Amino acid sequence: MGVPTLQDVTNQLQAVSGVEQIDPDVPILTIDDLDSLDLMEWLYSFQEEYPEIPADESLFEEIDETVTLRSIYERVIATVPS
Amino acid sequence: MTSFAITGWGLSVPDRTITTAELANRFGVDEDWILGRCGIRERRAVGPGQSTATLAIESGRRALERAGLTGKDIAHLIVSTATPEQLSPATSAFVHQGLGIAGSAHDVNAECTGFVYALITAAGLIAMDPRPILIVGSDTHSLTTDPEDRDLGILVGDGSGALVLEPTTDSWLMAWNLGADGARTESLKIPAGGSRMPTSEETVRQGLHYAQIKGNEIYLHAVRHTVGSVRKTLEMAKLEPEDVDHVIPHQANIRIINSIIEHTGLPPDRLITNLDRYGNCASASIPIAMTEALDSGRIKKGDIVLLAGFGAGMTWGSVLLRWGGGAT
Repeated sequence: MGVPTLQDVTNQLQAVSGVEQIDPDVPILTIDDLDSLDLMEWLYSFQEEYPEIPADESLFEEIDETVTLRSIYERVIATVPS
Repeated sequence: MTSFAITGWGLSVPDRTITTAELANRFGVDEDWILGRCGIRERRAVGPGQSTATLAIESGRRALERAGLTGKDIAHLIVSTATPEQLSPATSAFVHQGLGIAGSAHDVNAECTGFVYALITAAGLIAMDPRPILIVGSDTHSLTTDPEDRDLGILVGDGSGALVLEPTTDSWLMAWNLGADGARTESLKIPAGGSRMPTSEETVRQGLHYAQIKGNEIYLHAVRHTVGSVRKTLEMAKLEPEDVDHVIPHQANIRIINSIIEHTGLPPDRLITNLDRYGNCASASIPIAMTEALDSGRIKKGDIVLLAGFGAGMTWGSVLLRWGGGAT
């Protein structure tokens, strides 16, 4: 089973949102031109590419101004079956 | 087997317009934020004396006129709505009276997919009873939306659209798909007012008679299921996305529509949308867009038309038509 890297996830989110450069350590809610629908579009693409990883919309529950793409990535990795 | 031809169409929307600028002011956000979020510039809202049924009667009357029929010619009336005239009787009873329908009347509630469900229900009905059917999609979600709810407030519009179906052996119906996932009842709902939670002072005080949406969930699952439905319908018809001449999706949100177009591979130039002018009119959105496309001459005989919807429940569905017949 393929497991994406943080860079893979960052590239995917840049591609679906049109945001040219996303710093994975910047709080997601502060990124200009990135909104929750972009995150859902990214999640859809992610689920299509990695169907064996059970990441779903709960990744984005309780998202606040401290949550970064890196922390989302860590949540994704935590769902990967061992 | 007897199938259907579409011989009449019509729409009705209220005169009252709510602009995105007004909503930006009400919700304290930028107009551009609303446009970027959903692509809607204005939407219509019912005023005093208007309701789901009055809009339905008007669109139905126009569709009948276009078909050269009257209510007396209609064997069956199907009204799709999730914002009924009242809890009982069905909205179709009021439309039946308003149009002088001779035959049966019932409602379909599959939320925003309602019109697609109604069309397929009608296709089955006309195969068993080859007489004219009137199907109407009509919704007034402006009345079920909390005035302070920004997420829904920027989306919803009121309106109605109708089609007259008449029997033919030269089928227009190429393929179809319907689906539902009852595990998603929390994604978009009106909690109070039914048997599960009857209306009380407390439910009203808590605003539970208003719609509640989890927009992110709706986005994700609407895209997934609509893409899947469209793929199945195309496969059933043995067609490729580029074979489709016109795509009329549920006019929910331009971001969802664009995502569906991208993931299905349907050519973007085939998209028919009026979302910017009417907002999300729920089960009325597809017949309103279809009526405008027909009145403008955009859809021509022989064209392949794809309808695709999704809604609360969740429900989804798609229908492929060959305009003018020759589907099989």
